[in-house]
Amino acid sequence: MAAPSSNPALAPPQPALSVNSNPAHLDPLPPSVFTLPQTAQLEALYTIIRNKDTSRGDFLFYSDRIIRLLVEEGLNHLPVVARTVETPTGATYNGVGFEGKICGVSILRAGEAMEAGLREVCRSVRIGKILIQRDEDTTLPKLFYSKFPPDIASRYVLLLDPMLATGGSAMKAVEVLMEHGVPEERIIFINLIAAPEGLTTFCTRFPSLKVITGWIDQGLNEKAYIIPGLGDFGERRYCT
Amino acid sequence: MLEGLLAPPHTFVGEASQRHDLQGLPSTPRTPSLQPKKNTVLVSHGRPPWYAEDGQRTSDAFVIGVAGGSASGKTHVARQIVRKLGSIPTIIILSQDSFYKYHNEKELALAHANLLDFDHPDAIDMPLFASCLADLKAGKQSNIPVYSFAAHQRLDETKYLYGATIIIAEGIMALTDPALRALYDLKVFVQCDSDLMLARRIKRDVKERGRDVTGILDQYLRYVKPSYDNFVQPSSAHADIIVPGSNNDVAIDLISTHIQKQLKERSHNLRGKIAVPHRYISSPSGTSSPENILEEEVDLDIMRSTPQLAGIYTILRDRTTRRQDFIFFTDRLSTLLVEHALQYLPFVPKSVTTPIGVETLGKKLDTQFICGVSILRSGGALERGFRRVINDVPIGSLLIQSDSKSGEAMLLHVGLPFYIRHRHLAEQTYVFRRLLFPAQIGTAAAAFMAIRILLDHGVQEDRIIFVTFLVACQGGVSVLKRAFPGVKIVCGAVDNEMEEGWLEGYKGEGNPEGKGRHVWVMKPGMGQIGVKS
Repeated sequence: MAAPSSNPALAPPQPALSVNSNPAHLDPLPPSVFTLPQTAQLEALYTIIRNKDTSRGDFLFYSDRIIRLLVEEGLNHLPVVARTVETPTGATYNGVGFEGKICGVSILRAGEAMEAGLREVCRSVRIGKILIQRDEDTTLPKLFYSKFPPDIASRYVLLLDPMLATGGSAMKAVEVLMEHGVPEERIIFINLIAAPEGLTTFCTRFPSLKVITGWIDQGLNEKAYIIPGLGDFGERRYCT
Repeated sequence: MLEGLLAPPHTFVGEASQRHDLQGLPSTPRTPSLQPKKNTVLVSHGRPPWYAEDGQRTSDAFVIGVAGGSASGKTHVARQIVRKLGSIPTIIILSQDSFYKYHNEKELALAHANLLDFDHPDAIDMPLFASCLADLKAGKQSNIPVYSFAAHQRLDETKYLYGATIIIAEGIMALTDPALRALYDLKVFVQCDSDLMLARRIKRDVKERGRDVTGILDQYLRYVKPSYDNFVQPSSAHADIIVPGSNNDVAIDLISTHIQKQLKERSHNLRGKIAVPHRYISSPSGTSSPENILEEEVDLDIMRSTPQLAGIYTILRDRTTRRQDFIFFTDRLSTLLVEHALQYLPFVPKSVTTPIGVETLGKKLDTQFICGVSILRSGGALERGFRRVINDVPIGSLLIQSDSKSGEAMLLHVGLPFYIRHRHLAEQTYVFRRLLFPAQIGTAAAAFMAIRILLDHGVQEDRIIFVTFLVACQGGVSVLKRAFPGVKIVCGAVDNEMEEGWLEGYKGEGNPEGKGRHVWVMKPGMGQIGVKS
C-alpha cells in the first residue's frame, strides 16, 4: 500500500509503477516498460475486447476504459513540482502541481481511437498525427503524412498506437518525432497490447523512451499478427 | 395505494369496502395533507440512528396492534396516535386489508357475486401478514402484497416498505392470530357498541354510496355480525388496552404517552460515540500521525499514490480552484477510484476466441447483481465516474443529512435499486456505495447509517464496497471498520486530523437565528464536495 497522498514528502516525482506482475511472456521486462497492474479486473476487460463475438458497442466501451487507464498511467511519467495550497477549511496542504506542456501524437489509423481517451483526461490537449504504411517495394514502414503542433520540440509527447506487433511503424514514428526535435526521453509510448518481439526491438532501439502497455501477449504468428491479440484494432473500432 | 383501488358500490363486502369511509371522520376536521396514509412510511423529519456504536440495531420497531369491529373507529384511533406522537419519525400504519388471500377462479366468481365471506379470519393470509410484520419489526425491508378491491384480487405488484420506528397494524382480525399477537408490543382493542357500529355503517353507506338500507342490513347480518361475535369480539381478551370507539381522547393520550416513554428509553446519542473515538479524543492539535495505527488496525484500501493522483488532490483541495476544474478533476478521480474498486468483484476464468482464430483463456465477471448507491446530496460527484466504468447497473440513492440541532445523521429518503429491495436478490448483490455526503469519511455517521441500511436489506457485509474520496483517519473510520469489518473501504487519500468547528448556519426550520452548527471538519480536507459541484 502506498503512502497517503497527504504526505508532504510525496512532492518529488516518483517511479509510477510497480513492475510487471505478468512476466510470462517477457522476462525480464526492459526497464523502460511499464504495464498496468495486472488485475483480474483488467484481464476481464481484455477478455471482452479479445472475443471475436463482442459487439462493436461493447468493444468501444471496454477498449475506451482500458485506454483511459493507460493514459492516466502515462501521465504519471510527466514531471510534477511541489505546490502548496490553502484548502477551504483554511488549512495548508503541501501537494504537487502538474508541470510541462504535453501533446498527443496518434499513429493513424488505429491510434486515432485513443485520442478521445486522451482528451477525456487532458482537456484541450494538442494532438498531432502521423500516417505510416508499409512501402510495397521495400516492405519497410514509410512515412506518408505527419502534422504536429509547431512547438512540439518543447513538449512532452504521448505517442498513441493501440497495437505493438513488430514495432516497425512505432519506431518509424519515433524517428519522425526526433527529426522534429523531440528528445527520446520526452516521448511516452502508450499502447494497448504489445508482442514481446516488437517490444524488445523497440526498447533496444530507444532505451530511454518509456513504454506504457496494458498487456504483453504471447507473440507473433507467421503473418506478424499478435497472438492471441484482438484482431485488427482499427477494423474492429471503425468497422471498415 | 389501497385508497385508490377501492370497491365500487356494487361490491360491498364487509370491512374491506369501508376503507375510504373512515378517512374523513366528521368529528376530526383536518387538512388532507396531514392525513396519514396507510401502508406508507410516514416521515416527519427524518429517521435518527437506530443502531449502536457496534453497528447492531439497538431495538426492534415498536409494534402496536389495533383491532375492533367494523366501523368501530380503529383507523381513527391509529391516526390519532400518529398525530399525538407528532414529531416521532417514520411510522407505518399497516392495514390488514392488504393481506386478503389470492383467490382462485371459483372464489373470484363468488366474490364478484358478493358471496365470499371477507369477514372470516380465513380470508386473510395470516402467515404472510405475520412474516411481513416480523420483517418490519426486525428493521428489515418488506414487500407487502397489494390487494385490489375492484378486482377482488391480490395484484402481482408489491409495495416496498422499510425503516419504521413505529408500526401500527390494524384490522378487524389484528388480534385473532397468535403469531401476530406475539409480535405486538402493545395490543389495543377498540370497543364500540354493535348498534353504534351498525348505525355508522348504514349512515356512511347510504350517504356516500347511495345504497339501500336493506342491502346493507343483509350484508351485515350475513357476514359482518357473525364475524364480529365469533372472532372479533372474543379477541378483545388479548388486548392490553380497551379503547372506547368514541370520545376516546384520554385513552389515546395515555397510549401516546406510553409509546413516547418506551421510545425514549430506546434512544441514544450515537454521533458522539462515533465522532470521538476514545483514542483520539485528547489531541485536538493532531500533529501526531495516527496513519500507522490506522493502516494496521483499519484495513483501508488507499489507492496507490501517483504524481497524477497527488496533483488531482492538490487541485481539489485548493480553495481557489474554479468550479468547472473542480468538477473535471472529481470526475477523473472518481473514474480512477471506481476502476480500482472493481477489483473486489469476483472473476472466473473464461475462454474466448479472438478474431484471428486463436483461443485464449481470460476472465469474466462472476456476478450479475451489481448496483451502486449514492449517499446524497453531492450525488453527481462519484456517479459520473461510476457510469463511465459500469454503464448499465442500477443506481440508488440515500439522502442522509445531519440534524441541525443534534448533529445526528438523519435518514430522509431511501431510494434503493430493485436488487436490494428484494431480499433474496439483495443477498447476492454487490453494492458499490459511493459515499457522497460529504464524499469523505469524516465522522462516518452517514457512512455508518448507509451501511446499516444495506445490511438491514440483507446485503452481505463483504459485498459492500465503499468508495470515497477522502478518509479522516482520526475520525469515525476505525469505529466504522470495527462495527463492519467485512466492508471494503476504497479511498483516494487519507487526511490526518479532525477538527471541531462551526459550520456556517442557515436561517431556517429548526434554526431560526441562523446559528452555526457544531461539526467535525477534516484537516486539511477539501471542503464540502456537494457545495462545490
